[in-house]
Amino acid sequence: MSLEKIGDPRDLTHWMGHMETDYSYTYGIAGEKFFKELKENAKIMGTRCKNCNLIYVPPRLFCERCFEKLDTWETVSKRGSVHTYTIANIDIDGSKLKKPIIWAMIKIDNVHGGFVHKLGEVDSKDVEIGMHVEAVFKSRKEREGSMLDIKYFRPAKQKLEKALR
Amino acid sequence: MLREVAVVGLGCTGCRPTTPGLSYKEIMFEAATRAFEDAGVDPRCDIDNFITCAEDYWEGFSIFDEFVPDQLGAVLRQLFTVTADGLFGLATAYMLIRTGEFDTVAVEAHSKASDILTFADIVAFALDPIFNRPLGGHPFYIAGLEMNRYLHETGASREACAHVVAKNRKNALSNAYAAHGANITVEDVLESEQLFYPLSRLDISPLADGCMVLVLASDKVAGKLTDTPIWVRGVGWNSDTPWLETRDWGRSVDTELAAKMAYKVAGIRNPQKEIDLAEIDDRFSYKELQNLEALQLCRRGEAGKLTEEGATERDGSIPINPSGGLLGVGYTLEASGLQKALEIVLQLRGEAGKRQVPDAETGLAQVWRGIPTASGAVAILSNRSRGAT
Ligand SMILES: [Zn+2]
Repeated sequence: MSLEKIGDPRDLTHWMGHMETDYSYTYGIAGEKFFKELKENAKIMGTRCKNCNLIYVPPRLFCERCFEKLDTWETVSKRGSVHTYTIANIDIDGSKLKKPIIWAMIKIDNVHGGFVHKLGEVDSKDVEIGMHVEAVFKSRKEREGSMLDIKYFRPAKQKLEKALR
Repeated sequence: MLREVAVVGLGCTGCRPTTPGLSYKEIMFEAATRAFEDAGVDPRCDIDNFITCAEDYWEGFSIFDEFVPDQLGAVLRQLFTVTADGLFGLATAYMLIRTGEFDTVAVEAHSKASDILTFADIVAFALDPIFNRPLGGHPFYIAGLEMNRYLHETGASREACAHVVAKNRKNALSNAYAAHGANITVEDVLESEQLFYPLSRLDISPLADGCMVLVLASDKVAGKLTDTPIWVRGVGWNSDTPWLETRDWGRSVDTELAAKMAYKVAGIRNPQKEIDLAEIDDRFSYKELQNLEALQLCRRGEAGKLTEEGATERDGSIPINPSGGLLGVGYTLEASGLQKALEIVLQLRGEAGKRQVPDAETGLAQVWRGIPTASGAVAILSNRSRGAT
């Protein structure tokens, strides 16, 4: 099939441009607390809106529904369910990934929100919407206070869940 | 009483995968010249305000809005840039004219996407820098996530999405300004490389270059400028939360609310009856289905079936994207919504040639700002003024 038209502007007379854009993004009050707990204790924190009876994950200092300031912090579950997923076969430069990435929106149990993250320790054909997953953290030494402190989410171990209750 | 507003002129360069030999300024000059000719106005004295719609990163400039006056005839005149899709610019023009302070406003949006060598990187740079961007990856995984959830919630089939692609690319064959017209089958789409399951390569609208300019005028002057004014009957816009983590993945709530706003302004109570055709966002195939439902042009969960039955074909009961949509015309960045409005104007004027939808009186244009946004706008246009209906 040759219906995709191709045109490389670099074949035309041109001037090559490049934008250097480096930033240092401040985490802010809510982000500092969230990533400190993630790094030091492998805990996931959220903030509660008492008006809306919702816990925001990731946490924020204000409610997007009622605009109330949020200062009640809660430790939330490291588990959640796959709200939706996709299997990415190409990288950002368009090249084929040697190992496809399974992305998922994971709704953390009993909160409003969760994480868009990767799934691991699972075959892509076994992933389904609704499946229960748990966060897998890097070791304390490796954790740096970023989203990468969670390596990925994997299918939750049912027995362990019961034992922990 | 508030004034009525009409589109009295349009100009389009045509959309192409590349634009060899023309700079972004020159494509803007070309479209603007055509629009002013069409409206019979001199931009140096007849246009009360110019609106350009652009986003710095698409252009490769800081403060791009400073680079637009000369090619539009707007030097030392009233001009500002709306950092959003052209349909937001059209809504802004509508409001300016309704204030009574402006009689004529020109709206411009363009794409020189072929100048961009790292498109996916710019899209990725639009993700939250702390919670999403560190994970890397091609940002279109967000479309894969959304498509999967949409299909799951509505029961629409993967094949219905492929139908959208085949229909729109075929429609584009009879559109001289479309870049990506093609005769392809549902099977071609299903067999194309799977990039972000369930999204395949042909489900993604290809980029195109192009520029669109619309000239809007108040009812006071519209009749002097044209015999075929196309009235802007309503506009609406809306933004859902930017957080991927708390937004709705199965529906486009911002489009639902933008449509409600536009219908209210236009006095439309039954969209299915009152809208004759629509140009809606089909950046990804499934978006056309999702947006059909968000616009209340069918009931939730019905869009896939209707599409497979042919209802959205050019000769169907509710023609959708007769221009070829973004899948067939090409995705022209912030010009996407203006392309949709321009097509509706052509259709309502009866100037759409081979792709003319017969007897169309009222049409709708809708656009989404693309990944990773949750913002959209809607405009309702009619060849009948409010007083005439
Ligand atoms: Zn609240």
